[in-house]
Amino acid sequence: MTREAFASLSESDLRERFETAEYVADDRTVTTVHLALTLGRPLLVEGPPGSGKTELGKVLASAFDTEIIRLQCYEGLTAENALYEWNYTKQLLAVQANEGTVAGRSGAGRDHEQSVFDEEYLLERPLLRALTADGDTPPVLLVDEIDRADEEFEAFLLELLSDFQVSIPEFGTVSAEQPPIVVLTSNRTRGLSDALKRRCLYLHVEPPSFEAEYEIVRRKVPELDGAVAAEVCAVVDRLREEAFLKQPGVAETLDWARAVAQLRHDDADTPLSTDEIERTLGCLIKEVEDLDRIDAELLEQLQTAAARAEDRLEA
Amino acid sequence: MYGDSDQTAGGVGGGVDTAATHEREDVPDFRAARRHVLIELLRFAAQLRNDGVTVPTSATLHAAQALSVVGLDDRAHVADALRATLLSEPAERDAFESAFPTFWHRLRSGLSAVATDHDGPTAGSDADEREDAPTNTDSPTTDDPGVLEDAEPPDIDDSGDGDVEVRIPTERRHVTGDRPAATGESDARRYSAVGGRQRVDIDTAQLTESELAAIDRFVDALSTVPGRRRRQSTAGDRVEARRALRASLSTGGTPIDLPESQPTPSELRCCLLVDVSGSVLDTVDRSVLLAFADRLYDSARETDVFLFDTELVNVTEQFARGGGDPAAALREAEVQWGGGTQIGEAFTTLRARHPYAVDRRTVVVVVSDGLDVGDPDTLADGITWLAQRAGALVWLNPLAVSPAFEPQSRGMSTSVPYLDALFGFAEPADLAEAARQIEQRGLHGQVGYEYDRRLVGADSGGGSA
Repeated sequence: MTREAFASLSESDLRERFETAEYVADDRTVTTVHLALTLGRPLLVEGPPGSGKTELGKVLASAFDTEIIRLQCYEGLTAENALYEWNYTKQLLAVQANEGTVAGRSGAGRDHEQSVFDEEYLLERPLLRALTADGDTPPVLLVDEIDRADEEFEAFLLELLSDFQVSIPEFGTVSAEQPPIVVLTSNRTRGLSDALKRRCLYLHVEPPSFEAEYEIVRRKVPELDGAVAAEVCAVVDRLREEAFLKQPGVAETLDWARAVAQLRHDDADTPLSTDEIERTLGCLIKEVEDLDRIDAELLEQLQTAAARAEDRLEA
Repeated sequence: MYGDSDQTAGGVGGGVDTAATHEREDVPDFRAARRHVLIELLRFAAQLRNDGVTVPTSATLHAAQALSVVGLDDRAHVADALRATLLSEPAERDAFESAFPTFWHRLRSGLSAVATDHDGPTAGSDADEREDAPTNTDSPTTDDPGVLEDAEPPDIDDSGDGDVEVRIPTERRHVTGDRPAATGESDARRYSAVGGRQRVDIDTAQLTESELAAIDRFVDALSTVPGRRRRQSTAGDRVEARRALRASLSTGGTPIDLPESQPTPSELRCCLLVDVSGSVLDTVDRSVLLAFADRLYDSARETDVFLFDTELVNVTEQFARGGGDPAAALREAEVQWGGGTQIGEAFTTLRARHPYAVDRRTVVVVVSDGLDVGDPDTLADGITWLAQRAGALVWLNPLAVSPAFEPQSRGMSTSVPYLDALFGFAEPADLAEAARQIEQRGLHGQVGYEYDRRLVGADSGGGSA
């Protein structure tokens, strides 16, 4: 599927592809992703941890059967780590062996001498790889947790995001023949610059509703009994009402559902007990302060919520 | 109400008119509809800007492109497309949701007016009137039932002029309108040593982006702990390969000089001591004070927060749990404030109970007016210990924002010799000035309230008392 083909991609087609990739997406997500693909613009996804932001990038890659190039951001991430680096060792050896000169492309002596600033000496890092990737379908470039990178790095991304090209001083400008599908994710640990946001379509992912989460658990953890899966979702739904330091995300729900399925192989369809909830809380609650807040009373309430799960599904 | 909006529609669409008029005879309805959509979109963006949403000019362009993809039939699709292109913050969604119904109604009713207009408009200005004609002629008094009550055009604002005004949300709130006067000595008499304490009964203020940026800049300026960022250095711990290769060129490819790099200090470990005695709470906006402490807590790598009046309370956990609203967490924990000021005792308690809150890499930030009513010797002992143990000691005094401020009060005059810097602080903007000074001259250079350019200007201009 070429980039031109994306322009005529229909929304129902995209929905089908999500469906096949077992990704449960609400209408807003589908429309926004559809727009990002048809308009060929980067997509900025924000939302709490564990709400499926990174998963969206992966699913896009698998749905269009293309390569995913992932760049995990962290503080101190530099252009050398993300874009390209010269192979210094190789360059050094070439200079010593008189096989190359240090003049840039436009420098003197380029006719008979090979410059060490050439593709041969270039180590491609994720961003450059995304631009130069060949193949029919453009790759998915997932820039994960952009808010963790320095502001300098964010500014550096701007050229890439708006023109899908990068300038390498010694080498020239590399532009993409097939602009990649760019997905940026952010946990909102800091505000992103207006310049970056201006270039992206914006999608805010929220924790899913009870019904949507049930659907996700059913698809991703098929080994768990349907009724129990509903109870699991109801308990997590109830837990999100508490003022926890770290709210359980969808990722935690799935972990917990797998844990519950793992622990009960014989009595597969008995309802969740308070004891069972308490023993497996480690899958959901990741802060000791939050664990301290869970007492017998809250456990009772969780079990009540679990008991009502079936009714909520039918309603 | 609806009649007024005509002017705006004509005004905004004026540029489109002339271009569209020439080709109108061929495809009249299509042109009018297209123009209507663009006008409504621009008006919607202006409304959002009015409500404090940052909508870049290019965003409107992208929104128009997005609309051309999703079409105009499905309300949910249109809303999603506009959300994706016009918004970039979760906080902006409320403004969007409240303005969208009006936009949608106008868009649809306008489009159906164009669609039923079989004659086809003959001139740009005519078409403009014709679109809204039914509402003007049919029901001037009863009002169109379809027009929503809050369908106020964006140009009807307080100033009452006809232009679509773009208001940028800045300086929404000053501490109390004017800055607190530096009548420290006389104020001190009103407050007793013990005072009546009360519960935390206010909400945390919402700071603007520029205020948050000021606090972040202050935190960056105070940074003492090395982060991952590196810079060139003469004696670093790592070789910088890129520059080493460049340097080797002059020696025929043999690297002899090895340029090095070292990590830069980019993180802050901080111990924040906030005076919540009655005198401070009356001078500064207490909800801003809490919001400041919360942002500092968030943006520094490690922060211990203590509130003190006659007692010292460790409230770090409340700030951690508060999640942006420490006031609620403090209420829940039944923390009291508003008593008398005993700074020396507070420092002594800190030393006895939380000695590890302060070490040589910690910057201690004290927010206090220094109107101490405790024992001066205890204060001298306490501040000496703090100054020796801490990496740096910064004092933010709400009274020092006045040009006439002098550290004359008993508590302040005891403390000043031990401080690395004494800044005025009544609102977050003051921190940007403090950060500017520290960035330029370093924390141990000539920084402090007396070098504040804004105050020097006010002093010479107004003539101090």
